[in-house]
Amino acid sequence: MNGLVATLKRICSERDGRLGLAFTCLILVFALVGPLVSPDPNAIDIKARFAAPGLAHLLGTDNLGRDLLARTSVGTRYALTLAVLIVVISSIIGSLIGIVAGVVGGWVDRAVTAVFDIVNAFPPLILAFALIALYGKGSATFVLLVTVVFIPQFGRMARARAQTLRNLSFIEAERMLAVHPFTIVVRHFLPNVAGPIIVLASMNLPVVIAFEASLSFLGFGVQPPKSSLGTLIKDGFISINQSWWPTIAAALVLAIATLGATLLGEALRRVIDPKTAGVR
Amino acid sequence: MTDAISISNAQLRFGETAALDGVSLIIPQGTCFGIVGESGSGKTTLMRAILGLQKLDQGDIRILGNPLVHSRAALKQRASFVQPIFQDPAASLSPRSRIRTLMNEVGTVLREPHAATHERLAVILNRLGLPPGFIDKYPHEISGGQARRVAIARALLMKPSILIADEPTAGLDVSVQGDLLNLLQDIRRSESITLVVISHNLAIVRLIAENAVVMRAGKVVEGGEVGALFGSPREAYTRELLAAWPGVTHVGAAD
Amino acid sequence: MAISVRNLSVDYSLPQGTAHALRGVSLDIKQGELLGLVGESGSGKSTVAFALMGLLANNAKVVSGSATIDGKSFDLTKRNATASLRGRGMAMIFQDPMLSLNPVFTIGTQLCEVLRRRAPGSDRKTRAEMAQDALDKVKLSNPKRRMEQYPHELSGGMRQRVVIAMALLSEPALLIADEPTTALDVTVEAQIMREIIGLRDRIGCAVLLITHSLGLVTEYCDAISVLYAGERLESGTVKEVQRQPGHPYTRMLFDCEVPIDRERHADATQNRFTVISGELPDPRRRPPGCIFNGRCDVSFEDCAAIHPSDYPVGTDVDHSARCLRLATP
Repeated sequence: MNGLVATLKRICSERDGRLGLAFTCLILVFALVGPLVSPDPNAIDIKARFAAPGLAHLLGTDNLGRDLLARTSVGTRYALTLAVLIVVISSIIGSLIGIVAGVVGGWVDRAVTAVFDIVNAFPPLILAFALIALYGKGSATFVLLVTVVFIPQFGRMARARAQTLRNLSFIEAERMLAVHPFTIVVRHFLPNVAGPIIVLASMNLPVVIAFEASLSFLGFGVQPPKSSLGTLIKDGFISINQSWWPTIAAALVLAIATLGATLLGEALRRVIDPKTAGVR
Repeated sequence: MTDAISISNAQLRFGETAALDGVSLIIPQGTCFGIVGESGSGKTTLMRAILGLQKLDQGDIRILGNPLVHSRAALKQRASFVQPIFQDPAASLSPRSRIRTLMNEVGTVLREPHAATHERLAVILNRLGLPPGFIDKYPHEISGGQARRVAIARALLMKPSILIADEPTAGLDVSVQGDLLNLLQDIRRSESITLVVISHNLAIVRLIAENAVVMRAGKVVEGGEVGALFGSPREAYTRELLAAWPGVTHVGAAD
Repeated sequence: MAISVRNLSVDYSLPQGTAHALRGVSLDIKQGELLGLVGESGSGKSTVAFALMGLLANNAKVVSGSATIDGKSFDLTKRNATASLRGRGMAMIFQDPMLSLNPVFTIGTQLCEVLRRRAPGSDRKTRAEMAQDALDKVKLSNPKRRMEQYPHELSGGMRQRVVIAMALLSEPALLIADEPTTALDVTVEAQIMREIIGLRDRIGCAVLLITHSLGLVTEYCDAISVLYAGERLESGTVKEVQRQPGHPYTRMLFDCEVPIDRERHADATQNRFTVISGELPDPRRRPPGCIFNGRCDVSFEDCAAIHPSDYPVGTDVDHSARCLRLATP
C-alpha cells in the first residue's frame, strides 16, 4: 500500500504523469458516472434527431434521436472494461508462459518462441477478420482475439526477464537449498517479473482501446444497438453532413482516453522501470 | 573415512576454451581447503560443477562418496550436505522476499515446523552477531556485511557438512574482512564442517586453509599442504603469483 | 612543478540530509612522485579525484578547496575550474577502462584524437606513428594490429594499457589513477603498476594513486596519505609512515593486512585475522572530536571533544598525523 502511494507521488512529480493521471481519472469518472446520470442510451426519439447540444441532450442526439452523452459514456465504459479485461488476462497468461519458457529452456522455449512468432506474423486486423469469419461477430470473439494477439508481447518480456533471473545467484541459491521449483517460480520469479509486466500492461491499455474502436468502426466489433466509441464515430461519420458533433464528441473521448493512458503508462515506466525509460 | 569431495579428471569446454581441463583433487573431511587462481582459471566453474549447477563434459565428482546426479531427488539430498556461499551475498538473497520468508523456506525443505527452524535460527543469528529483529527486513534494507551473514545463516540452517565459499572477502574492506574469516573458521571448528575457500587472495588462503591447489586455465598447477605450497613452490606460475602479490613487507625485518 | 591541493571539502546533498564526504583534505605531490591515497569504502577517496577532474555528480558541492597544478592555481569551488587541464595537464585512469574508451572507435583513432588535441598542427601520419609507438611503450603486444581493433576486442589488462598509452600521449603534469588495478588479476596488476611507473619516469609527472590496498601503496608508492571518513589522518613518505605510524588508524590498517609470508600456525585457533571493530561515523552527523574516536584503541577523554589538527610525527618534516596523542609531548 505504501508502495502504491509512493508510486502515485512520483508519477505526480512530473507534468506528463500529472496530465496522464488527470485524463485517466476524467475518463474513468465519465465511464462510471455518465451512464448513471444520463437517460437510457437506447431510447429512440425520432422527433429529436440530430438535436444540437443543449439542456435536454448535453451532447445532442444521433440520427435516431438517442442521447449521445449516454451513448458515449456507455461506449467508453464498454471500451475500458474490454481493455482492462484483455490486458489482465493476456498479461497473466503471457507472463506464466514466458516464465516457464525462460526457466525450462530447451525445446519448450523454442516451441513457445515459435508460436509467439507465428501469432505476431499476422497483422492483427487480418487475424481479426479470420477469427470473426470463424466465430462470428461479438464481444467474446473480440476478447479472445485481442488476448491472443497480446499474449506474445507479455510472454516475450517475461521470458527475457526470467532468462536473466535464472542465472542470478539468488535463484541459484534457492535451487541449492532444494526449494521446490513451483515455489521458486511463484515467490522469486513472479515478483521480479511483475514490474515491467505492469508497465507494459498499462502501456497496452490505449492500444486495446484504439483497436476496439477501429474494429467497431469497421463494423466487426460491438453490434447495434449497443454503442461503442468506434460505432459512434462511424455513425457520426455517415451523417456528418447533417451534424458534426457526434463524431467529434466520441473522437475526443477516444483521444483523451488513449492519450491519458499512454502518458500514465510512460510515467509508470519511468517510475517502476527506469532502465528502459527514454526508449520511446 | 570417505573424502568430502573427490573429483577425478573433470573436463568442461565452453566453445573453444577449456574451462576445466582434467581437474582431479581430493578434499578430505573436516579440513579447510583452498582453491586459488586468477580470473579465468576455472575455480568458480569448478565450484559450480561441485554444486551441480554446471554439468561436466567428462569426469567424475563424488560428494561424501556419492556420485553427482542431476535429479531433483539427488539435489534435495545433496542440499543437506553441501551449501554454497556465493560471491555476492547480497545478490544471493531474493530481493522481494523478507528474510523471514527466506528462512522459512529452508524449514519447508527440511519438513521442519517453522517454530523449530526459528529456534535453531535464533542460535545461529546470535552466533553471527545479527540482531534477531531484522529478520522482518528486506534484503535491500540491510548492509552488505549483514547480507553476507544472512547468506551464511541460511546455509547453516541446512546443517551442511561441506561449505563452499566463493571469494568470501570480495568487496569487503580490509578492516572488516577479518571478521568474516574468523567467523568462518569458528563455524568450521565448532560444527566440524569441511570448508572450501575459493579465492584469488593467496595470503588469506595460506592462513585459513590446510591444503590448497593453484589453478590456471582450467588445470591444477600444483597443490598440497599450504606451508610447502606457498613456502617452497615447485611451479613457476605459483612463484609468479606470490611475487606479484603486493604485500606489506615488514620494514623491521628488512632493515 | 609540484602539485598541491589545499583544504578540499565536498558535500553531497542527499534526500536524508547533507553528507560531508570530504573535510579539509590537503595533498602534496612532488614532481615525479607517486602518492598513494589510501582509504576504505566511505573514505571519500574517489571524491578527491572527481573534485580535481571536475567530474563530481550534480548533487555534490565543493565547499572549499584550491589546487595548484602545473604552476597554475585553481579555485575548486568554481564549476569546471580545471576544465582547461582535462586531457592536457591532467589525465585519469579509472578502475573501468571502458569509461575512458569509446566503444565505437578503434584504439588508433582514439589515441590519434588525443594527439590531435594536444598538437593541432601535426599531420596524420606522424600522429599514427606516435600512437603506435605509445602502445609499444606500454608493452601492448602487436601494437600495429591493436591500432585497428576496438576496445571490446581487448582484455581488461590490455584496455588499461591503452588508457595508460593515452595518458602517455597527453603528457600530463598530474596523472590520477583511481583504483586502476582493482578489477585485474595480481599478475596483470603488477604489470600495469610497472607501466604507470614507467610512464611517470618517461614524462616526469606526478601520480596520485587512489586505492584501498595498502599493499599496492607500500610496494609502488613514494608517499602515502591515509584517508578516513573524509579526513586525511596521516601523510608522509611510505617508509616513514610504515616504520612509525603516527595515527592509530594507520597502525591498525597495517595490522589488518595479511602478509603473504605469514605462515599458518599448526594450532588452528592461532590463525586469526585482525579486525578494526566499530563502524564508520554517519557522514551527515560528524562527531565534534576526532573522527576515528569510537574505533580507536588508545583514545582518551579529549578525543571526543577536541578536533585534532595535523601534528608532526618523528623528525621527518613531511610526516604528520591528525591525532591528539601527538599534541602533548
